Amino acid sequence: MKKKNLKISDISKDGDAQLTEINIDELILLPPPYDKSEELPGFKKLTQDQKERLVCNLDGFVALALPKPKSKEEEEKYVRPFISGLKKLLSKENNWTFLQPLLLSLDHCARCQTCNEACPVYVASGRNDLYRPTYRSEVFRRLIEKYAKPGGKLISKLKGTDIELNWAAISRLYELSYRCNLCRRCAQACPVGVDNALITRELRKLFSQELGWAPQELHEKGTVLQLEVGSPTGLRPDVAIDNVKFLDEDFSEATGIEIKTPWDKEGADVLLLHSAGDLLSFPESVMAFAILCNAADISWTLSSEVPGYDGVNYGLFYDDVQLARVATRHAQIARKLKVKKIIMGECGHEHKALMTVADRLLTGDLNIPRESFMTFLEDIVFSGRIKFDPSKNDFPVTLHDPCNIVRNLGIVEPQRRILRYLCPQFREMTPHGVDNYCCGGGGGLAVMSDVNITDWKAGVAGRMKLKQVLEAFSDSPGPEVNKYICAPCLNCKLQFRVIFNYYGAREKSGIFCGGLAELIVNAMVVIKKPFINWGES
Amino acid sequence: MSGIFWHIFTFSAVCIFLILIVYRIISIVRLPVHLRWELAPIPHEKGKAKYGGSYLEEYEWWQKPRRKSRIAPIIYMAKEIFLLKGVWKNNRSLWPFSFALHTGIYFFILTLILHLINALFIITGTPLYVLNVFKDIAAVAAVMGYILGSLGAVGLIFKRALDADLRLFSSFSTYFRLVFLAAVFISGAFAWFYSGDFASEASLFVKRLITLDAGITVTLPLAAHIIISLLFIIYLPLTDMVHFITKYFTYHAVRWDDEPQDKAMEEELSGLINQPVNWSAAHVKSDGKKDWADIVAGESGEKEKP
Repeated sequence: MKKKNLKISDISKDGDAQLTEINIDELILLPPPYDKSEELPGFKKLTQDQKERLVCNLDGFVALALPKPKSKEEEEKYVRPFISGLKKLLSKENNWTFLQPLLLSLDHCARCQTCNEACPVYVASGRNDLYRPTYRSEVFRRLIEKYAKPGGKLISKLKGTDIELNWAAISRLYELSYRCNLCRRCAQACPVGVDNALITRELRKLFSQELGWAPQELHEKGTVLQLEVGSPTGLRPDVAIDNVKFLDEDFSEATGIEIKTPWDKEGADVLLLHSAGDLLSFPESVMAFAILCNAADISWTLSSEVPGYDGVNYGLFYDDVQLARVATRHAQIARKLKVKKIIMGECGHEHKALMTVADRLLTGDLNIPRESFMTFLEDIVFSGRIKFDPSKNDFPVTLHDPCNIVRNLGIVEPQRRILRYLCPQFREMTPHGVDNYCCGGGGGLAVMSDVNITDWKAGVAGRMKLKQVLEAFSDSPGPEVNKYICAPCLNCKLQFRVIFNYYGAREKSGIFCGGLAELIVNAMVVIKKPFINWGES
Repeated sequence: MSGIFWHIFTFSAVCIFLILIVYRIISIVRLPVHLRWELAPIPHEKGKAKYGGSYLEEYEWWQKPRRKSRIAPIIYMAKEIFLLKGVWKNNRSLWPFSFALHTGIYFFILTLILHLINALFIITGTPLYVLNVFKDIAAVAAVMGYILGSLGAVGLIFKRALDADLRLFSSFSTYFRLVFLAAVFISGAFAWFYSGDFASEASLFVKRLITLDAGITVTLPLAAHIIISLLFIIYLPLTDMVHFITKYFTYHAVRWDDEPQDKAMEEELSGLINQPVNWSAAHVKSDGKKDWADIVAGESGEKEKP
């Protein structure tokens, strides 16, 4: 098995063989008590049964559970559709959405490798060639040049960039397209402006829109379920309403103030678009918003229409059609309710999908103003409508910058102004803001958990982030001091949960992850008991 | 070689270069408007660019006036183009060679401009002391360009061959273009040192070119340098080295394109979403006739186009 110094052409060779291996001793070092690899959980090995049933030819991890073809003929039948997909990516009719950015990134890479060190996955992995932002892009670029452009076969030979398209290359590329968080740190570093994350997303799009291949968590149990029943969580409208009613009562009792969440209020100023995952996994976030909106006397509403109570849009990660369908639906619901604006809840990719990427899809009266909860909450906090006591938040707090809100949308300071005001022990990570590292769950990985990919998410993709968090709290590393990482994004919070469970960080370091709204409510004078419960209930 | 050869060859090469470059630019400009894909930091964000902030940081941003800087993107780009700031920050070991090569190219271009100015001075009978000053500047710029360019190109060949990170991504064509660049600069350096008065010789060559004087004669080293350089500029637009032009688009048309949808864009978008789509996956539900709007509207609840 090859470990390092992978050649571009290796992607097509030895179809059943694993291309590389991740060795836990080669990963970047973490601060104590996480510095002894023998004390860490390690990676789950693939079982013999999995190896026989599934395609396991990449790196010892499997995210997509692609069944093994039963014959050579079955393997070969995917080559033609893949080439057809490559050509469609280059056509104005089928890919006007990203054609210009794609061509610019395909045609002008100087192969200088300047972007590599910006990638937390590549660096954390011990600089494994497979995870270079440039590796999958270069494979893809060479395939396009050879198979989708006129005279490609001859030109590839002349240029010395020949590459074979076969089952090995297709299946490995599919799996490899989900070893990237789409965080775009590599794009920031590129002096020419090439965007390897965009290329990765285009590759995922080809698999989804042409071959019909996509991770079930993003597609069947993601966008398809969302458009059918309302949410990838499976939560139906009536259940969502019941859940929130129960939470209203529960939190009213716990906080001593009456909480009432409005539903489907026509003509409200604000349609608040939470992620339904917050209802199930972080209900305190949803309740914190209700408390703040009511206390600030905002005219607001939630929607119970499919999928108006779930702002996620996994189409952003893999498929333009699904992206457009979900975004259009969200806008239609807002229009029907006649709201003045849509406020994105604490969900990073929802921001990017609806505020910017879909901006040029929502034409006419669907183009309803859309705003981040960051500016919305900042306005509430500094409006003077609510009294705060920052001493109630006197514990170490650091801020995680969700890539889709900060690096992609440039919303950097509002959340910091809130934290500097309300959290006396707020400290930054290094680096932070638009240079911050992804949590390791970006690009849809946070909700993917098939086979053994969870170990990769925590052990490789999330490793750089854990290092950053531990360093930010290095003045009180032990569990005796409760420490709060403010991660104002559902997917980031889910990923932190995975990381903390994997490393035992809650027990060993006393780190707790929550959102921004909870911290604000925790500092409200009228809230008598601590709103943040440090994961104790 | 007779004088007419130089005219035909030079003007043909320059024309081919310009045609190919214009073709590449037009083919990029004519691509349809794309979905937004901006990336912070965006330097035109006045007062916010230094930390990567954008207008989306404003409460009800659509009610606020946009505060855009015209000069900041130019400064950002100038640092990128002339100092290779991104490479300095993210790939320090590559920077010396890349910086030398790029600076060599800039001096080379400056030298060409100076040769052209000097030729015009000769034609118009500008006083000799002015011409001599410009010739001296041209001579210095030329030798600096040739030396830096040679060092950069040769350095990059070795760097690519010896550095495992770069070797992996270096194909025959990568080395070919570096060798080609090295040939341009080394032949220039040789011609400069071989010639007693390189700037005068080159200016005279340009003068005879633009006055269509058939009596062009050049020394063999300068002839070799001119031929290699002209072949190179024909080759250049066919490679990814055109990033000196396309960089404008990767930055301004993608990374820094944060313009919200407007009326003019809406018109173009309406045309785009009415094009037929024929992706094959079942969930797309395309029959080769349905357009983008039908495909999206059909699944998004209300049966209407977005």
